[in-house]
Amino acid sequence: MPEPNTVKPPRSDRQPLAGERSIPGHARRGVDPAAGPAVSIRGLTKSYRHPWTQKVTRGLEPLTLDVHRGEVFGYLGPNGAGKTTTLKILTGLLKPTGGTAMILGEPIERVSSRARIGFLPEQPYFYDSLNGLEYLEFVARLSGMPGRDATRAARAWLAKVGLGERERQVLRKYSKGMLQRLGLAAAMVHEPELLILDEPMSGLDPFGRRDVRDLILEQRERGTTVLFSSHILPDVEALCDRVAILLEGKLERVATVGDLIDGTAPVVEVHVEGARVFEIPPRLAPVIERSDAGGSTALRLREPERLQELLGWLLSERIAVNSVTPVRPSLEQLFMAAAERSAFQAQSERRPA
Amino acid sequence: MIALLVAQNTFREVVRDRVLMGLVIGGLVLLAVTRIASPLAMGEGLRLTVDLGLSSISWLGLLVVLTVGTALVSKEIDRRTIFNLLSRPLPRPFYLFGKWLGLTVALATVAAILGSVLWLVVALLGHGHYAGSIAEAVYLATLELAVINSLAVMFSALSTPLLSALYTLGFFLGGQWCGDLRRLASHCPDGLKVMLESAANVLPNLPLFNMRTLAAAGELTSWTHLGLASAYAALYCACVLSLAAAAFESRDFK
Repeated sequence: MPEPNTVKPPRSDRQPLAGERSIPGHARRGVDPAAGPAVSIRGLTKSYRHPWTQKVTRGLEPLTLDVHRGEVFGYLGPNGAGKTTTLKILTGLLKPTGGTAMILGEPIERVSSRARIGFLPEQPYFYDSLNGLEYLEFVARLSGMPGRDATRAARAWLAKVGLGERERQVLRKYSKGMLQRLGLAAAMVHEPELLILDEPMSGLDPFGRRDVRDLILEQRERGTTVLFSSHILPDVEALCDRVAILLEGKLERVATVGDLIDGTAPVVEVHVEGARVFEIPPRLAPVIERSDAGGSTALRLREPERLQELLGWLLSERIAVNSVTPVRPSLEQLFMAAAERSAFQAQSERRPA
Repeated sequence: MIALLVAQNTFREVVRDRVLMGLVIGGLVLLAVTRIASPLAMGEGLRLTVDLGLSSISWLGLLVVLTVGTALVSKEIDRRTIFNLLSRPLPRPFYLFGKWLGLTVALATVAAILGSVLWLVVALLGHGHYAGSIAEAVYLATLELAVINSLAVMFSALSTPLLSALYTLGFFLGGQWCGDLRRLASHCPDGLKVMLESAANVLPNLPLFNMRTLAAAGELTSWTHLGLASAYAALYCACVLSLAAAAFESRDFK
């Protein structure tokens, strides 16, 4: 079972965002690591039974996971991996089949556990007949804010997400990007201690993605815990203290982004002049991956300690070396590798001995 | 308190729906038609106006319940707007109660508007003293709509809008005949008698809310009747909404 890692302190070097306004009660929140994890999941499972055939499908294998207070936690996985299932169980929209989960010290079965969380569902939908201000007031009051505070916070958040000019416009006239921003404002309007965001960047243009990234960073700076799922790995890499990789309902790995990358075998890429016809000697072939593109050839060496051997051989063959670059695998490559490994394991398990 | 927020939002949503406005206009047109047709009633024009005016409140209200009420919860599930509500500290039974209350208040508002217009028409004909009987009949019609609405909300929470509308209509029609069902049961052998009596007990006793004939004659009903009908409506709605809440509590929203 993956062990929770230590919490990185929230970044404090961030400059205020352009046009950022102060919101009532929007002060930095202290993070007390001794207060226990923000989210604590133990053996959580979810199965679905087909109403006619009674066939049971596992949506989530026993999941054990901690999200520490004050961290930004990325929840990764391909479609159908169980990310949304987990987030919906935490927010009370799905009932778990087994296991337990606590949010900020309260069991998820208690409705009151949802008072301190803000949730953005994937592709959020809204009441067409309400306007932006009415909607935010409504959800703020549902989360326990008194009427006047709800109105003030709703106005401030509309301005913050760039919808201040449209507070009286009915939501059916909002664009997709505007609705996504409204959804984020709705998740944050009551100043929650834990934000749960399901694909917050989906459907947004690059500017919208940047704004969401800035909002998440700002929330982290305030001490808010952020748990979010995403397919957009560069965003996860840029934002997260730790990530969990979920594949086919099973937790594959939990680690800091740095640990994930450091834990992989380093690779050195050697670029040589021209796509010359040459044969890699058999002693080096198993550790080299060759790709010819345009006028150059790239040799990816999976064992960097054999670099001298490779360079010696290239010199002896009079092949001109253009560059030698240590390559840092991206989170995307690690994710894809994990997915392939999991698929291979699943295939091996299915194959008869 | 939190259920009132849901009720307020539901009311706002329903009032802004064009269906409701269309039905109010339809009701006013129906009232106008009864006045135009009254010379054909051979001296019973006033009775016809009051009777048809009160009937239009009940039938148009039923239409609102069947079109709006039966989709009240299922539409929120289909359109996923429910995710934004139930992920907040809102207990599911309070959500259902709020949805029911919001539509019931909207129905009561429509009934009050149409009832007031009916009284105005009758008063202009020189029969202002019908105010009491019209008010009582409108009150009872509202109770009837509240009862049917509770069934619509229950079915809406558990089924599709089309099936919910069919079930609700079935309960409405069965409820209109529940007195006949009881009379039929008294003439049946024991096994069938128990079955029919059980069905009559489960179906809403809708004739209890019908005083259109009395009101058309300008007569008042007794306070006992009003009290009994109010208590019955409250109890029936509470039972139906409790059943709905129990089933809704374990529902998954994928």
